[in-house]
Amino acid sequence: MPFLKNLGVEFAVEIGSGSGVVITALASFLACACFATDINPEACQATAETAVLNGRKVDCVNMDLLGAFRNRLFDVLLFNPPYVVTDPCEVVGNGLNRAWAGGFHGRQVTDKVLSTLDLLLSEKGVCYMVLLKENNIQEIQRFMNENNFKSDVILERKLRGEHLYVVKFSRIL
Amino acid sequence: MKLLTHNMLTSKCMKAVTVGYPLAINASDVRVSEVDFNPDFIAKIIPKVDWAVLWNAAESIGQLEGLPKEIVENYENDQDFLKKAHHVLLEVDVINGELICPETGRKFPINNGIPNLLLNEDEV
Repeated sequence: MPFLKNLGVEFAVEIGSGSGVVITALASFLACACFATDINPEACQATAETAVLNGRKVDCVNMDLLGAFRNRLFDVLLFNPPYVVTDPCEVVGNGLNRAWAGGFHGRQVTDKVLSTLDLLLSEKGVCYMVLLKENNIQEIQRFMNENNFKSDVILERKLRGEHLYVVKFSRIL
Repeated sequence: MKLLTHNMLTSKCMKAVTVGYPLAINASDVRVSEVDFNPDFIAKIIPKVDWAVLWNAAESIGQLEGLPKEIVENYENDQDFLKKAHHVLLEVDVINGELICPETGRKFPINNGIPNLLLNEDEV
């Protein structure tokens, strides 16, 4: 958290903000402009309401990932992706299934974001992502390293049936 | 949708579109609400804003409120300018209306303050 305060964040965004609790918490903590996207229109509505109820400003847009935003805007990107290993055919539509269905290795959506991270983040930008052990963190770290990003596991938690990590990705300068 | 957000949105993801920027705004319901003024923050984000796009967007929905057409010199220390920028960027909300792709004319609805930029499968 002190790291984020020192980073001098102007624009922060959460992909798949759902209920909106995470981006609202960030908006309470950092004096920056906070944005959110979700593929599910009802989730967008929920995010907007959660922000308002907590007296925070979050501008939410209904879109797939960050596809409709200009390039290299965001200093902080938060993403708790659909990481569950599922049949790839479950990764369709705009419904609730999009909140968990991650397709092959649970990486279908994650990989889409990570492979374009250079275009999503500003020069100083960082990305925090929730990942599952089955997503193969080492392979992700290798791939990101080849693309000039370092990845640090900053949190690890074993729950019943889920071994989760929060990984921070930042540019290798 | 704030005009700051509008300044950041494109329709570049559509397959027939090359730039997709700026999106035109057709507003049927605009709300203005007071937001705490943080001059340092506004000064920091001005370099990230496409000013011409902001000015045109504000004009198109009748919310200029004296916003200069160009960024003034030494804007960091110009409270009056920063206040006007703050107002247009953060206090004006398009509640209902639509965004329009400059290349294809595709309309994206804005309902309850939330723009819907989801695309159909055949548009990607």
